[in-house]
Amino acid sequence: MSDIAKDAPPPPWSFLSHNAAQLFYRLLAALLICIVLSIANESFLSLGNILNVLRQASLTFFIASGLTLVVLTAGLDLSVGANVALSACLAGTVIHQTGSPVLGILTGLVAGGTVGLMNGVMVTAMRIPSFIATYGMLWVLNGVTYWYMAGETIHGFPAGFRQIGSGYFLGLPIPVYLLLVFLAIGTLFAQRTVWGQEIYAIGANPVAARLSGIPVSRRLLLVYTVSGTMAGLASIIFLSRLNSAEADIGESLTLPAIAAVLIGGTSLFGGVGTIFGTFVGALILTLVLNGMNLLSINANWQPLVTGIIVIIAVWLDMKTRRGAT
Amino acid sequence: MQHRRSCYLALSLLIASATTQARADGETIAVFTKNQTNPFFQTVRVGADNMAKALNAKILHYIPTKPDSIPEQLSQIEDVVVKKPSAIVFTPVDYKAMVPGVEKINDAKIPVVNITDRSAGGKFVSFIGADDYSLGLETGRFLLKTLGGKGNVVIIEGVKGSLTNVDRVRGFNDALKENPGVKLLASQPGNYQRLQALQVMENLMQSNAQIDGVLAANDAMAVGAIEALDGANRKALVIGINGTKEAVDAIKSGKLLASGDYNGFAQGCLGTMMAIRSLRGEPVITEIVLKPTVITKDNYQPFDLSLEQRSCPSFEDASKLGAK
Amino acid sequence: MSDLAIASPISSLRRLPGVAIVLVLLIALFGAIAPGFLSAANLSNVLVQSTILTMLALPMTLIIMTEGIDLSMGAVLTLTSLCVAIVSLATQSMLLGLGAAVLVGTVFGLANGWLVAIAKIPPFVATLATLGMAHGLSLIVSDGQSVVGIPHSVRDIYSAKLLGIPVPILMGVASYGVFHGLLYHTRFGTYVFALGGNRDALRYAGLSPTRLLIAVYAIGGMMAGVAGLLMTARMNSGHPTAGLGLEFDAIAAVAVGGTSFERGKGWLLGTLLGVLAVGVLRNGLNLVSLPSSVQVASVGVLVIVAMFLDGLRSRA
Repeated sequence: MSDIAKDAPPPPWSFLSHNAAQLFYRLLAALLICIVLSIANESFLSLGNILNVLRQASLTFFIASGLTLVVLTAGLDLSVGANVALSACLAGTVIHQTGSPVLGILTGLVAGGTVGLMNGVMVTAMRIPSFIATYGMLWVLNGVTYWYMAGETIHGFPAGFRQIGSGYFLGLPIPVYLLLVFLAIGTLFAQRTVWGQEIYAIGANPVAARLSGIPVSRRLLLVYTVSGTMAGLASIIFLSRLNSAEADIGESLTLPAIAAVLIGGTSLFGGVGTIFGTFVGALILTLVLNGMNLLSINANWQPLVTGIIVIIAVWLDMKTRRGAT
Repeated sequence: MQHRRSCYLALSLLIASATTQARADGETIAVFTKNQTNPFFQTVRVGADNMAKALNAKILHYIPTKPDSIPEQLSQIEDVVVKKPSAIVFTPVDYKAMVPGVEKINDAKIPVVNITDRSAGGKFVSFIGADDYSLGLETGRFLLKTLGGKGNVVIIEGVKGSLTNVDRVRGFNDALKENPGVKLLASQPGNYQRLQALQVMENLMQSNAQIDGVLAANDAMAVGAIEALDGANRKALVIGINGTKEAVDAIKSGKLLASGDYNGFAQGCLGTMMAIRSLRGEPVITEIVLKPTVITKDNYQPFDLSLEQRSCPSFEDASKLGAK
Repeated sequence: MSDLAIASPISSLRRLPGVAIVLVLLIALFGAIAPGFLSAANLSNVLVQSTILTMLALPMTLIIMTEGIDLSMGAVLTLTSLCVAIVSLATQSMLLGLGAAVLVGTVFGLANGWLVAIAKIPPFVATLATLGMAHGLSLIVSDGQSVVGIPHSVRDIYSAKLLGIPVPILMGVASYGVFHGLLYHTRFGTYVFALGGNRDALRYAGLSPTRLLIAVYAIGGMMAGVAGLLMTARMNSGHPTAGLGLEFDAIAAVAVGGTSFERGKGWLLGTLLGVLAVGVLRNGLNLVSLPSSVQVASVGVLVIVAMFLDGLRSRA
């Protein structure tokens, strides 16, 4: 993964113009899926379904947005799904025990963030490659969650808490607002703050970043902690939407989140990508699922179709990137 | 160096302390279940534990670390054969692919009782299970009767190809055939997963303006569908299968119409009972297929107990529980 | 290896890779506390159980040495296992089944190689996509059902013995031998080292990194095909999800075994030790019958501890 030097990525601060064309293509791809689906099924373009897609995409997006920062530093976090499961179970317990949704939300966020911080420590202080460290963490978290839950389900939460995941405000689902807020915060953080720019710089060239005085370890700790906290947030949304938690909820969340980041054009070599791209990636994945349900397509085809879409998205990305530079 | 040493010390202490509690008198029964995540298998394990305690035997649980992993359950069988427990109570993670594993147990001359999913091969002391087909049929019938034999329904299926799903969905479909006035709008898989069922339901609601009933192949998916309906402020009658605590709560509060009782607790109890009885040379029942019970608002009370409060059926009751 | 043996105790402890320390400790620990662990039957169990993972982890080592990764291996193994089942069911011939599996595996390997080397798609993404495709094809060709009724010649492979040694162990040993020879005693092996460490040197030497890279991935797919035969033989059936996720076990074994994700540092024996460490851990925990949740967590702890020890060693 040291090919970066040869590929000579453009300086991180110029990426806005650089990425404009690619983002356009990706949006075009999403639009294309939409057009095909709306021809095939008339209910696709209804406002209800559009909101539906956005709400479903939000869960993937929350996990994937934190993950985007990790991938920007040329790292990876395989533990996000397991983190969601543990955080959801802990948060659920706290709400049940104390009756206070606020405490529960805090628990979810803190639990997620703590796991993220531990990942960060393994990557920085213990110098374990992120892929392996977070894979080990995945198993540890699963073990803890299985032990803690002992095959039980936590279910039934206060109506107020349920509003976060399933409520509406001015006709829009609340998760959609949260999605927009975090999309804005994430984009601003990554592109308009010094820390954000330093994260891009670390991903593009860690040695140069260190030499230019960026506190690499501290920024990495931050990135993994943010990723864990976003998993914690996702666990809250999950909990309040499904009104219950059990030990296996995270299993099916990790690979789609990684796929969303990659379809969104963030490079695994670090330094290239945007939060907005990840949002579009999550959108494309959700559209595929939504379309298959609307058209009653056999779910056996779903992994195949998803695989093909990932390839096409990334290939288009490579094409346009080469064209742009 | 100090770090390393303390690491090893902690690890060995952990393992040593855990092994000491694995010793006990009486027979040792190895119980195999599919995963640690599905509440159903927890009820099976608690049932087995209760029965073993009553009969003064010792239970060891073997559960794949990756849920439903075929290679891992095969490995666990190979390891357990070395350990030679007195008997085995066995739920195959896949009823066809685990046959070589069962044959290994047979070769080692360890008596084995099959519970939950009927294995496609191998020799067993006894089979204890529920009839997925009639559970699907009866629970489906109850929904369609409540609907008055008309309306639009959807089926949310479990994992394609799994034994439980094939039979339950066949039961649903046969119940639908008896009610020609009911229209099946769609039959989509939710893979026994709550989130997937929720999203499938949300999507189906977009393309179908009127859904009166939902037949879900397990409780987690039924509850997921209910959340989707609530979120869209729509109403439909929903049924699930398994009879989990969560489903009973939902029936109590009127959100879920009914759940077919898969009765994992009794399966765990009776499986362990037959294993121990065969070891002690007492008569066993070679096949018990539990009669389907549909849990509804009228009869949920006996199911509204925590697992620890439930007691195992006696041998005399066991023959009455079964359809055969 | 030889210089490890003759070095003084302290310095050799320093130079011993984390995985070797962990493996020795695990064996000592389980030998002491797990009844029957050191019996021949059980040790043979551990080895037989480790063969499928070995067959994936060996080519994975080469792939990771080229700074690549193959996430599709578990899914391809599942697909090739189904191929063995379906083809041998149709033709009653184990060899045709194996042939079909190796063919399908190699095609997927070539596709991975093509995507990585020619389409220049990052390996992680390319193989994540082919993972989806292989998984999808497995579900489609089997319609989500197990394939049963395959001829006995297939299952016999798993239970047969040659000179008293189970055939899967022999296949595992043979695979290791072939890969060892390939990596350390052929030019191809030298090129693989260069592919990771010094790609420009290859170009100067007039060699095409593209073709080498494709070959490395194709070998991975081919081995998934061979392992597919063992998988089917083990289950006496084909199952559409049987091998999913094994790629992560293989990657973990490679990493724990000391092969680095950067700069072509590879150690084939370490990979083997990594596979064995995971196998010994799972087997031993089953024998001492710890609670299942502890078993789950301990796999993660093993990976982290071994990597941490390695990190200490490289800094020392």
